[in-house]
Amino acid sequence: MKKNNILKIKDISVSYGPIRALNNISLEVNEGEIVVLIGANGAGKTSLLKSILGIQKAQSGSILFLGSDVTRKATDKIVSSGICLIPEGHVIFSSMTVLENLQLGAYYNTYDMSKNLKRVFEWFPILRERSSQIGGTLSGGEQQMLAIGRGLMSNPKLMMVDEPSLGLAPKLVSEIFNILIKLNKEGYTILLAEQNAKKALECGNRGYVLEIGKIALQGNTQELMNNSNVRQAYLGSSV
Amino acid sequence: MEVFIAQLLNGLSLGSIYVLLVTGFNLMVLVARIIQFAYPHMVVLSMYACWEVLQLTNNMFLAILSCIAVSVILNILSEPIFRRLTNRESIDINASFVVSMSMALVITDIMSHSLNYGFPIAFPASWVGESLIRFGLIILSKGQIYAFGGGIIAVLIFFYLLYRTKQGRVFRAMAENRYLARLVGIPIVKTSIFSYFIAGLLGGFIAILFSVFLGSASPHLGEFVALKVIATSLVAGLGNLKGGLVCGLLLGVAEVMVMGYISGSWSNAIAFIMMLLIVLIKPQGLFGIKI
Repeated sequence: MKKNNILKIKDISVSYGPIRALNNISLEVNEGEIVVLIGANGAGKTSLLKSILGIQKAQSGSILFLGSDVTRKATDKIVSSGICLIPEGHVIFSSMTVLENLQLGAYYNTYDMSKNLKRVFEWFPILRERSSQIGGTLSGGEQQMLAIGRGLMSNPKLMMVDEPSLGLAPKLVSEIFNILIKLNKEGYTILLAEQNAKKALECGNRGYVLEIGKIALQGNTQELMNNSNVRQAYLGSSV
Repeated sequence: MEVFIAQLLNGLSLGSIYVLLVTGFNLMVLVARIIQFAYPHMVVLSMYACWEVLQLTNNMFLAILSCIAVSVILNILSEPIFRRLTNRESIDINASFVVSMSMALVITDIMSHSLNYGFPIAFPASWVGESLIRFGLIILSKGQIYAFGGGIIAVLIFFYLLYRTKQGRVFRAMAENRYLARLVGIPIVKTSIFSYFIAGLLGGFIAILFSVFLGSASPHLGEFVALKVIATSLVAGLGNLKGGLVCGLLLGVAEVMVMGYISGSWSNAIAFIMMLLIVLIKPQGLFGIKI
């Protein structure tokens, strides 16, 4: 089965002042995949996601989303074309209600907002219960669900999730990953950046290993899991 | 008792004007991320525009329209100046204070040199509504009733817009977390410019209420009001919309009560001593800083 290309990154480099965060990165995401991006803290995972969304502009290279060049576009234009980023550390608008948070996720998508809202509440019944509660009063796991729900409200064609496991208890981590797998089965295409390599590789189709701003390895998640370097560096097992 | 009720109505009218001023000011703090010290000055300049048009045409509708137009234009014109101080993630809020203070001084100077030869302006009786209405011992001018009704309604409408509409939600989202607002796709620069427009619209309306309530204006009115607005918003907690609502009303009532029962000349001193004490005891303001 030939899958449509959703995101195609070619040779992008990103620098913060004199420090080069990303060096000639190329990456592809196809429709219906979960692509995982693993790497240590500071390897450049977040920088890569930010540059896809135009928050940190790439100095060279190109980013194609659904066939059109978004490298130089403004963030709001990129978001409206169908990419969403769920940032690390379950970031929400903590002084606003759960419902308001979800409504803000649908900034460009007010047309089928009530339909999306119903769907998000089906995914996360807890959010329906808490819909009039202030976001900041939710637990960490609930906040992460709210952040994912907010992303879903925009009907994204590509969901980028940054470190969803950060700061959550192991049981909740598994729950969040299960949700991502279920979402993927429903048809969502996901690009997942994660330090927890084992969990991430278990749920993804393909993966990229980032090391100090460069792609060190890429391939099927199965291949990566069997790769001795990956096992040693990220899965903590001796070969 | 009747005197007290009349004073209370007056205080609430003045208070609702303060609330609107503080809210417009806080909107700029929250969304545009600037301290717009010159906001009340722009309101007073719009009152002058209103007065000029009344002098020239004696047409109330035209006067209202030009008052709002001038206020919107002044606020929008200031945007490119402030934008030079900001970038997407951070802003130099101290620099914006200095810039807006110079704007304020220029506006005051224009009013005291070039408009009405620097003399205070008095609005015609037809505008202020001189006819009196009696309820028992309470005598109110029509203008006082308009200012009271208009002020309360404007506060209700504006808070409804901020808390119950999409645009209001977007403003509050940008105020709380600019980075996340950008992530969900809110156009930061456009929304920020729009906040200047809304502040301008609100400013025009405040100018109309103020001119009806006071019946006059002078070149230095902007300064007096600006000090109160900035002090009120600091006492409430900078950027705290609900705090501004409470403290604005309180200031209006307190000021009028002091004028009525103690002495008019002491009302400023009393207001500012109270503010000094509150800021000393609660540096974050009574309701907490929101930026």
